[in-house]
Amino acid sequence: MKRKEMLSFKIEKIYLDVKAETNWVTRHILKSLPDVPVERVEDKKNLIKQFLPITDPIGMGKRNLLITHFYGRRLKPCPGTSRHICCGYYVINPITNCPMDCSYCVLQGYLNNPFLTLYSNWDDLLQEVESFLAIGRPPLSRLGTGELSDSLALESIFPISQFLVPFFAKKNAILELKTKSTEVEHLLSLDHRGRTVVSWSLNPPQVIEEEERGTASLEERIDAAKRCQEAGYPLGFHFDPMIDHEGWEKGYEGLINFLFSRIDPKRVVWISLGGFRYPAQLKGIAEERFPKTRIFLGELFPGGDGKFRYFKTIRVEMYRKMVKWLKQVSPDLFIYLCMESQEVWKEVFGWSPQNSQQLNQLFEERVKKFIKIPVEYRPALLGG
Amino acid sequence: MNAIQKILLNQIDLSDETFSVNFMPDLQGLRSSIKAIGFIQPVLLRKEKGHYRIVCGFRRIWVLKELGVFEIPAMVFEEKEPSDLELFVLSLQENLTTRGFNAVEKAIALQKLIHRFQLEHSEVVKTYLHLFSLEPNEKILNTYLSLAEMEDETKRFVLREEVSRSNIRLLAQMSSEDRMALLPFLSLLKLGENRLREMLTLLSEISRRERISIKEVIDRPDIQGILSQKELTPIQRTERVKRVLMNLRHPKMKQMEEEFDRKRKAFNLPVGVSVHHAPYFEGKGLKMEFQFESTEEYRTILNSLSELVDKKEFKKLIESS
Ligand code: SF4
Repeated sequence: MKRKEMLSFKIEKIYLDVKAETNWVTRHILKSLPDVPVERVEDKKNLIKQFLPITDPIGMGKRNLLITHFYGRRLKPCPGTSRHICCGYYVINPITNCPMDCSYCVLQGYLNNPFLTLYSNWDDLLQEVESFLAIGRPPLSRLGTGELSDSLALESIFPISQFLVPFFAKKNAILELKTKSTEVEHLLSLDHRGRTVVSWSLNPPQVIEEEERGTASLEERIDAAKRCQEAGYPLGFHFDPMIDHEGWEKGYEGLINFLFSRIDPKRVVWISLGGFRYPAQLKGIAEERFPKTRIFLGELFPGGDGKFRYFKTIRVEMYRKMVKWLKQVSPDLFIYLCMESQEVWKEVFGWSPQNSQQLNQLFEERVKKFIKIPVEYRPALLGG
Repeated sequence: MNAIQKILLNQIDLSDETFSVNFMPDLQGLRSSIKAIGFIQPVLLRKEKGHYRIVCGFRRIWVLKELGVFEIPAMVFEEKEPSDLELFVLSLQENLTTRGFNAVEKAIALQKLIHRFQLEHSEVVKTYLHLFSLEPNEKILNTYLSLAEMEDETKRFVLREEVSRSNIRLLAQMSSEDRMALLPFLSLLKLGENRLREMLTLLSEISRRERISIKEVIDRPDIQGILSQKELTPIQRTERVKRVLMNLRHPKMKQMEEEFDRKRKAFNLPVGVSVHHAPYFEGKGLKMEFQFESTEEYRTILNSLSELVDKKEFKKLIESS
């Protein structure tokens, strides 16, 4: 399979919020980028305002790093809707924005601040996660950092995994690091105790080539996953967003076969399927930035939550075929649908979780099979 | 600059358009005013080797030439001083105070600043866009630059139909050949701002989906058939063309709609009753609507509806929804 070199990104300038100047995280970042010019910023709102009228503030933001302080909560429930079955996931946001540049990325229409932004008050974030987990959460709650950025893309600047993986290793919870990169070097020697799932979003090579700029090739992603598998990490794979394109069946079936020619299905804790979906404002922004993108040429219609999705028959057909191909690899794979209704679940699997809570329980049971539960956590688990 | 002088028209190089941004100028008004009150405002010229170049007053000079005048009052700048850019900006300012610019003239002026006078995009955004009452935004500059590149026919269409910036951007994404095929097609329809956007988007998405040109989409027999029906009003034509395009753009949806219709027609719904699927077939269940004006009508409808329960075609529709 063709290799696509990981386009290493370049930070052209660092904007340093004076309020974050003395922080140890800031010092660490500046040390890892010694040759990048730094501009001190008194008023970050004004900085952002200056950049908004340029042709491509989003593209510019990906090449410029803002180090600042975050005021407010950075741990939130994953934004699902009542119409859909949700998996009860929580998101942690130590970074916003991403150096990679996928044409379908919702962040393009979502963030008011286009800069690649690293928040220096890291200790506050850990404290927030600590307090969250301390107050009687369901056992093995799942939290992930891949909502407002790629979880591992900035590892070379500030290795978030080195702090989060050991932190979660001592908790009765699961951290998911979701990526399209190969930045796993820092992870390999860490004592994760099975509490961290490293997961990759996958698409056929043609989609990666056309729609996922700056990301690692499929082969590179799977190589990186293999290294994590060898380091004992449970793995996750997200076929999300699935793109309806000419020859999609061949593309996705080939992708599944290629994946499991290298990865042991027994080490895969979960697999999600999600058809491409987008909020209305994304189309104009993405088509302007990527005039050649074909993602909006599918049959997509607005749903009750305002998001555009593929026509239901298309989604159901895609999911059914994916489930069939995956189950041929191993009937034991744990496959779930992201942000879909009970009705679609039933059409795809012939059954559906009653509600989000039930799906959550299924996750819990699945995760238990993958990790050794230390003695001190057992009572909590047995007690539910 | 010297005081006002009389300059012979044949000494002025009318073909030199260095400082001109005219497009579709309205000469009629000017002609009548010159005829009525004569020529008052002197034109601005620059002395060149052996002739004069027009800085400001192109339209006035054209009209005077047309009226058979030999010489005109002018203020003349000497060779070299000031620079071409300074004179161009002066001519823009002069024109702004007297007449303003249409969208294409703005586009030509901005294109000249970039290409002829070699200014950076960022400088044009910062310093010049506001002259034309435009917000200082690079996207806006790019929209006007793309308009300046279009064929004169398209530029005329943009002015005549007062095409918005977002629709100019859609036109700019098309090839010149497609735009030329599009203009006669659009002139047969009735399109406001939003409908034009909808039509341009549908056409370009179908062309990209099917990997054919927009011209090929327009030339389809079903579309040409609608366009050639003289008895249709432009609104009716627009609606029918749109339906064809929607079906081409969403073939699976069209198939489902047809299937639904077929099933619905398989049993006779009482008069005044309609049945609908969920929007975009997303979600289960059917919605039924009926209208009545008397208790008698109401009872008749209810009786016929209760008979539906036993019809297998009706059950089929429910099961498949
Ligand atoms: S990797 Fe994820 S966060 Fe980054 S651009 Fe792509 S979709 Fe957006």
